[in-house]
Amino acid sequence: MAIVKSLSKVAAVIGIGESDYVGDHARVRAGERPHDSYGYAAIAFNKALKDAGIERDDIDGLIVGPTIAYERMGELLGINPTWGSQADAMLSVIEACMAIQTGMAEVVALVYGNDQRSAAIQYGGPEAMGGNMFLSYIYHAPWGFTSQGALYAMMFQRFMALTGCTEAQLGEVAVAQRLHASLNPHALMKKLITIEDYMASRYICEPLHLFDYCLINDGGVALIITSADYAKRNAKKKPVLIHGVGRYDANKGATSLEPRLLDFYRPAQERCAEQMFNMAGLGPKDIDAVQIYDSFSCHVPLALEGYGYCATGDVGRFMAEEGISLKGKLPVNTGGGHLSETYMQGWNHQVEAVRQVRGEGLGRQVENCRFVHYNSDVAGKAVSIIYGS
Amino acid sequence: MTYSKPLPQADDLLMQPFWEHARAHRLSIQRCDDCGDGHFPPSPVCPHCLSEEQTWEPVSGRGTLLSWVTFHRAYWGGFIPDLPYQCCLVRLAEGPLIVANFAGDKPAHLAEGLPVRAVFHEMTEHFTLPKFIVE
Repeated sequence: MAIVKSLSKVAAVIGIGESDYVGDHARVRAGERPHDSYGYAAIAFNKALKDAGIERDDIDGLIVGPTIAYERMGELLGINPTWGSQADAMLSVIEACMAIQTGMAEVVALVYGNDQRSAAIQYGGPEAMGGNMFLSYIYHAPWGFTSQGALYAMMFQRFMALTGCTEAQLGEVAVAQRLHASLNPHALMKKLITIEDYMASRYICEPLHLFDYCLINDGGVALIITSADYAKRNAKKKPVLIHGVGRYDANKGATSLEPRLLDFYRPAQERCAEQMFNMAGLGPKDIDAVQIYDSFSCHVPLALEGYGYCATGDVGRFMAEEGISLKGKLPVNTGGGHLSETYMQGWNHQVEAVRQVRGEGLGRQVENCRFVHYNSDVAGKAVSIIYGS
Repeated sequence: MTYSKPLPQADDLLMQPFWEHARAHRLSIQRCDDCGDGHFPPSPVCPHCLSEEQTWEPVSGRGTLLSWVTFHRAYWGGFIPDLPYQCCLVRLAEGPLIVANFAGDKPAHLAEGLPVRAVFHEMTEHFTLPKFIVE
């Protein structure tokens, strides 16, 4: 495999912004609709601009998240960019680096907004969002196998059968992330839970419990990514460099769940890790904190093994004995993640990575945090990013 | 009584032969006329060699259990009376994987790798659903 080196330290995050998850969630639960998806995105964008210390008219690249229309978002932010795209959180960051490296843009705004809670979006059943794109819903519907959670439940059941990892060991994910959320003013779920609470919680799709499922809430996130040179000259705060990225997709056999059930995405994660760590000149031992896309808790054990943070087959023991909380060996999802902070479909993880590298983690700050690794395996795409100072 | 669970998609022409075979109590997969690759769900071209010539082929109905889950929440109203209900993932002896249900009550003992066999439940006059029993 070709080793891509040329994207390392080409670009930096200089601005981050988020909507008021806590305040908006309270209003939504009281029956209000504070904003629509565009409104949340616009609010986050304004905060990111202020955080970066630049002007709207400095922006020449625009990437809009998949939940909103690109043209409309550009219209209401008043941006006519020289380059633009529409992509999810992780691919947006990589695309921004590529656009900057090729000179298509120098200052890229990434904006995302989602009113999924107030709009009552479903991630299972007849109204499942994106169901027609995730064909497994259609093919498996006559047997009643139609939810995102079920796909992961099926995978984790087999993972337990083959590795001996237990439900209680998986519970370490929800417990650790709740601890992190309790230290994060932006997090929705702050009440601490124990492994006993986890085990006593109801099943949704067994073996996954309620606490293994992400939240559904409204919000918006924005990032400003610029060339490293531009960042050095113009950023108000310390730029956070993108040291390495990686991607490898596992599409073959996806509808009948082969990549996740037979391989647990392992080959994709290993190739993605090789590309990213080589590009960055780093390895798992250099990483101070990991952010993992956690629509369901079981993404975490798979990624810890897949990216080499623990030995194959050892992740249950690793999580329970060495620890994945701020008190443990390897802090994972230090803001609380999708399970306990906010479900911004990977966007909030990028913000948390930047905060940790900047040293803005408040009570949840990882000491001497130099490098933060983000990864996801959504719909078979293993994507990985290393942020660092 | 009206059938209130999801039916196969009527406009999914690729899958029609699968459901026709099921009505005759046969499990089937799509096999490539050129390279012999067997796959499920079907594909407009062979995912292995891209051939456009493929044929539906009845298979043995035997396989091994790869995994299973229990739904404690229903996403379709028609499944509410069945809660909690199981779905299983089976690797057919001929290779492809298929999601289905166990026939009847949840088997008393489940383990990765158990041998299973397809049986056929007539859900409506026109629609027969393959399920699996542990051998």
